[in-house]
Amino acid sequence: MKIVIIGNSVAGINAVEAVREKDKISEIKVISDEQTRAYSHPLLPNFVVGDVSRAEERFYYRERNFYEKHNVKTLLGRRAVKIFPKNKYVELDNEEKVDYDKLLIACGGKPFVPSMKGVELNGVHTLTNIKAADKLKADLPNIEHCVVVGGGLIGSKIAEKLAKKGVKVTLVELMRRVLFPVLDDAGADYVHKELKNLGVKLVLEDSVVELKGDKRVKEVVLSSGKTIKANSVIVAVGVRPNLDFVADSDIEVNKGIIVNDYMQTNIDTIFAAGDVVEAYDIVISQKRPIPILPLAARQGRVAGLNIIDSNVKYKGGFPTNSITIGNISFISMGIVDSDEFEVLKIKKDGEYRKFLIHDDKLIGAILVGNIEKAGMFNWMIQNRFDVSWIKDTFLNSDFGWKYFNKAFRVLRLDRKIK
Amino acid sequence: MKIVKINEDNCIYCHLCEVACVVEHSQSKDIIKAFKREEKPTARCGVEFNYPLSLSVMCRHCDDAPCMEACQNGAMHRDDRGYVVVNEDKCVGCWMCVMACPYGVIKRDTRRDVWGLSTKCDSCPDRDVPACVEACPNNALMFEEI
Amino acid sequence: MKWMKNLKTYTPPAFTVIRDDYRCIRCKACVEQCSFDATFYDEEENRVWNWDANCVSCNRCAAICPTEAITIEKRDYSYRRNYSWESHIDSLKKRAIFGGTPVVSMGNDKPYKIYWDHILLNASQVTNPSIDPLREPMELKTFLGKKPHNIEIGDDALKTILSPQLEIDIPIMFAAMSYGALSYNVVEALGRAAREMGTFYNSGEGGLNKDHYKFKGNIIVQVASGRFGVHKPYLDVGSAIEIKIGQGAKPGIGGHLPGEKVTETISETRMMPQGSDAISPAPHHDVYSIEDLRQLIYALKEATEYTKPVIVKIAAVHNVAAIASGVARAGADILCIDGFKGGTGASPQVIRDNVGLPIEFALAVVDERLRNEGIRQDVSIVASGGIRNSMDAVKAIALGADAVYIGTAALLAIGCTMCQQCHTGKCAWGITTQDPHLSKRVNPDIASERLINLLKVWALEIKETMGAMGINSIESLRGNRLNLRGIDLTDREMEILGILPAGE
Ligand SMILES: Cc1cc2nc3c(=O)[nH]c(=O)nc-3n(C[C@H](O)[C@H](O)[C@H](O)COP(=O)(O)OP(=O)(O)OC[C@H]3O[C@@H](n4cnc5c(N)ncnc54)[C@H](O)[C@@H]3O)c2cc1C
Ligand code: SF4
Ligand code: SF4
Ligand code: SF4
Ligand code: SF4
Repeated sequence: MKIVIIGNSVAGINAVEAVREKDKISEIKVISDEQTRAYSHPLLPNFVVGDVSRAEERFYYRERNFYEKHNVKTLLGRRAVKIFPKNKYVELDNEEKVDYDKLLIACGGKPFVPSMKGVELNGVHTLTNIKAADKLKADLPNIEHCVVVGGGLIGSKIAEKLAKKGVKVTLVELMRRVLFPVLDDAGADYVHKELKNLGVKLVLEDSVVELKGDKRVKEVVLSSGKTIKANSVIVAVGVRPNLDFVADSDIEVNKGIIVNDYMQTNIDTIFAAGDVVEAYDIVISQKRPIPILPLAARQGRVAGLNIIDSNVKYKGGFPTNSITIGNISFISMGIVDSDEFEVLKIKKDGEYRKFLIHDDKLIGAILVGNIEKAGMFNWMIQNRFDVSWIKDTFLNSDFGWKYFNKAFRVLRLDRKIK
Repeated sequence: MKIVKINEDNCIYCHLCEVACVVEHSQSKDIIKAFKREEKPTARCGVEFNYPLSLSVMCRHCDDAPCMEACQNGAMHRDDRGYVVVNEDKCVGCWMCVMACPYGVIKRDTRRDVWGLSTKCDSCPDRDVPACVEACPNNALMFEEI
Repeated sequence: MKWMKNLKTYTPPAFTVIRDDYRCIRCKACVEQCSFDATFYDEEENRVWNWDANCVSCNRCAAICPTEAITIEKRDYSYRRNYSWESHIDSLKKRAIFGGTPVVSMGNDKPYKIYWDHILLNASQVTNPSIDPLREPMELKTFLGKKPHNIEIGDDALKTILSPQLEIDIPIMFAAMSYGALSYNVVEALGRAAREMGTFYNSGEGGLNKDHYKFKGNIIVQVASGRFGVHKPYLDVGSAIEIKIGQGAKPGIGGHLPGEKVTETISETRMMPQGSDAISPAPHHDVYSIEDLRQLIYALKEATEYTKPVIVKIAAVHNVAAIASGVARAGADILCIDGFKGGTGASPQVIRDNVGLPIEFALAVVDERLRNEGIRQDVSIVASGGIRNSMDAVKAIALGADAVYIGTAALLAIGCTMCQQCHTGKCAWGITTQDPHLSKRVNPDIASERLINLLKVWALEIKETMGAMGINSIESLRGNRLNLRGIDLTDREMEILGILPAGE
């Protein structure tokens, strides 16, 4: 069998590993428009400021000999431009045709750049892949004042990193707080304080409408009419599924590529996984893209297993995020800000805990400061665990196994319940 | 594969499993030096107490390990023995594994300068029987086939 | 500091806990393990320290400390030396300060002469050669119960109807220690060890937890004056029924289980309200004479259809021989004599330390008396109260016992350090406590293994000494006082013990 994977990142790599667990024979080709071996996207902000470099193993997603070890042919620096499902081949940017029996589309996301005047100016950056990161890193010595557009995970992280480097940073966020879907007001408050401590200037409930300058950006105009003198802008208002080359194929798409429980598209032989798809969100009970790494990994794995007919279902996922800003760590998952559900929360010494419960099931959580047992809540959400009898203990800082009933605890710890 | 089996009925809340774990993962592997001379490592097992219950919990070495899935650069990986372990040189302390581990057994070590370090049970690679199991005075921890 | 000394209640601490600060790694294991509130950790000072007055020298902290940082020392009297008073000064003061008589546990700890240590065993040389137990068969099995005076043999089988017997593979059984005094896990361990070794454990007077009915075939059930937990299924599960008249550690005194130890399961087992003191009266209120005792014995036999031997347990007191004779005549199948060194879960100190007889004397005189009266075969004799090692057991059997009970020795095997705090319910070794957090300290797997080891080693030692004496069955050792000699004993003592002086 010929397996072709478009995308050399989390979803693609996990698919390779899943296939090779059982199938050592089939030919696997990985196509990527990037030259580098798979690397860690979340480390890009660190990469930009020099915490980590290409020379360090830490930067990469898998070890150097990964492709050799898994008997994978790589077509690096080649972009897939079109898929021909009937004839089962992919066309590359050099017009080469790559035949497949099974195809996995794992081409991830691309940065969303809102329409604003002047985005083409020098000094305007995005930060979702290494090419963009290289460009930003090269520009770093020229940057005096940087406006970060968007206070999401990438925006907040790069703002923090640049500020620590001594760059003057202004963060502009459309909503009333940073990390809007990830935290609530109380949680975001901690982030605001940490960012301010580092010298980041926060402009909330405002957006960028125009970038001014001759060749290089000089000034940023906000919708409120305010202007900020800045010689660099980083646009980080989110990623969208990268649907460019599937657009005119027969593959069904909505916001992302539509897949069934087996990560299969409407075309039998074509699978898709990772940031490019919209898969089932078990918390809100509908399909949507959730561009996070753990889900890209799981979906890639499920796709890989199904490519070799293992008949494994993707059980659905939900957003989970872990971020450290300044000295404080945040973990959030599921729905974190809503009045429609039962809310348990407590704020105490350097710690904030919040839980959302619906129909006796945990549907979301925020942990700030004390994050150690976070995964136990993740499990409860994923498994639609009845929390009615234990939820009272969620707010205890020492939450742990000791609060579960014995029979359940013993079965779980003995790995009798997954 | 053998993992540390937890028999909570026998746990007497002495914390010696944690002590042994610290010693095993110290530089000197000497109990007094580990605690007094070195910056002592974090114990990989954690003892919980809720009268009269006490129990020590550590990594269950999952088959489909969610921590590995969540790890952003492969620092969390399965070693040749089949145990899930952290590659300290790779770990960047993003705590994605902490967020994922359904057993809540990954701890944060923040002693390093730039990078945090996830700390979890590695099933004592240098020993036949893990240190905690050997130290437990009441067989509350046993190294058994799962 | 959590405690502050107060002159009004002060008596000098008996022990000092010394902690080598270099070795102490502040793991706090000792702090958690001390169940007597004597060890503390001070967060601010980052130091572990002790309130010596509370230390009972149970040695749990010293045993658990991973760096051996702890030594416990007995504090020497700092009062002026006074041979006749010094050990009485504090005990007198305590009565004066607290206005109560001290309750103690474990056995009599006063320096009375231990006769076992003044009896020497014989060995064979040349004539009647010794036997190697590793090569030759050596029988430790014995049967307890009434034996017929003579037997009649019919055409092809025994015609005489035998009384019910207890068959034991080694002449050592576990003495009555109630569930209530002991923790669940200890009872579990005793049961498992008894089953493994082909012997019996005794439920004691607290009834039997339903989980432990599984040990049927290795249980002796006890009926005491409080009649706690006695009902038909209880009697049925026992292989023998023991009527407890007295206990060596507290002859003439009833039983007392403090309310703190009467937890939910204990109350269920004992059939009494939770949290209230379990009091067994001093006498059985239906036994005021040998005739009454006979009625009780037969009531129990009747209830169990004459299928089980009935044991009567009495404390060794001054006229023990006459009482034993009465008990035998009342129809008991087995007589248990408990010496004054026997253990207890709780007893007034004055009784424990001043009342009763050494088991060695009691055993000798009872055996002698029953022989003289021609009724020795009507009852088997079980000796208990201060059997410390296998040689004590051998000597007891040679003095006339059929078997021995061990209590304290069994607890020592499980971890007990004889700190004598059983009555407090806080046993740091998890043995004599009902606190579920403390009782976990006994893991029945480990404890039963240790008990089994102990009995196996003792059995081997007994075989070795029997072999040395040229005896190959425990039955031939019984009452074999010719193999005993006294040393450092008066003529009168030897006369009572029925043994010759060393050299004669
Ligand atoms: C800066 C940054 C920080 C992040 N931090 C976190 C975090 O903290 N936590 C978290 O959960 N997630 C984080 N993410 C998201 C996470 O990285 C993604 O969820 C994950 O990388 C998705 O993996 P993927 O395999 O689906 O796609 P991607 O990682 O986007 O990889 C897609 C691959 O496909 C290639 N490709 C795309 N189109 C083509 C084509 N036409 N032809 C050939 N090759 C193509 C790309 O070059 C790339 O190699 C972060 C992302 C970024 C950019
Ligand atoms: S750390 Fe947690 S998720 Fe990872 S293998 Fe261990 S128990 Fe499983
Ligand atoms: S060493 Fe054993 S008994 Fe002690 S705390 Fe750890 S698991 Fe419990
Ligand atoms: S157990 Fe030993 S090392 Fe631990 S705190 Fe006590 S004295 Fe110190
Ligand atoms: S049983 Fe416990 S309380 Fe009693 S003497 Fe032994 S160690 Fe002390």
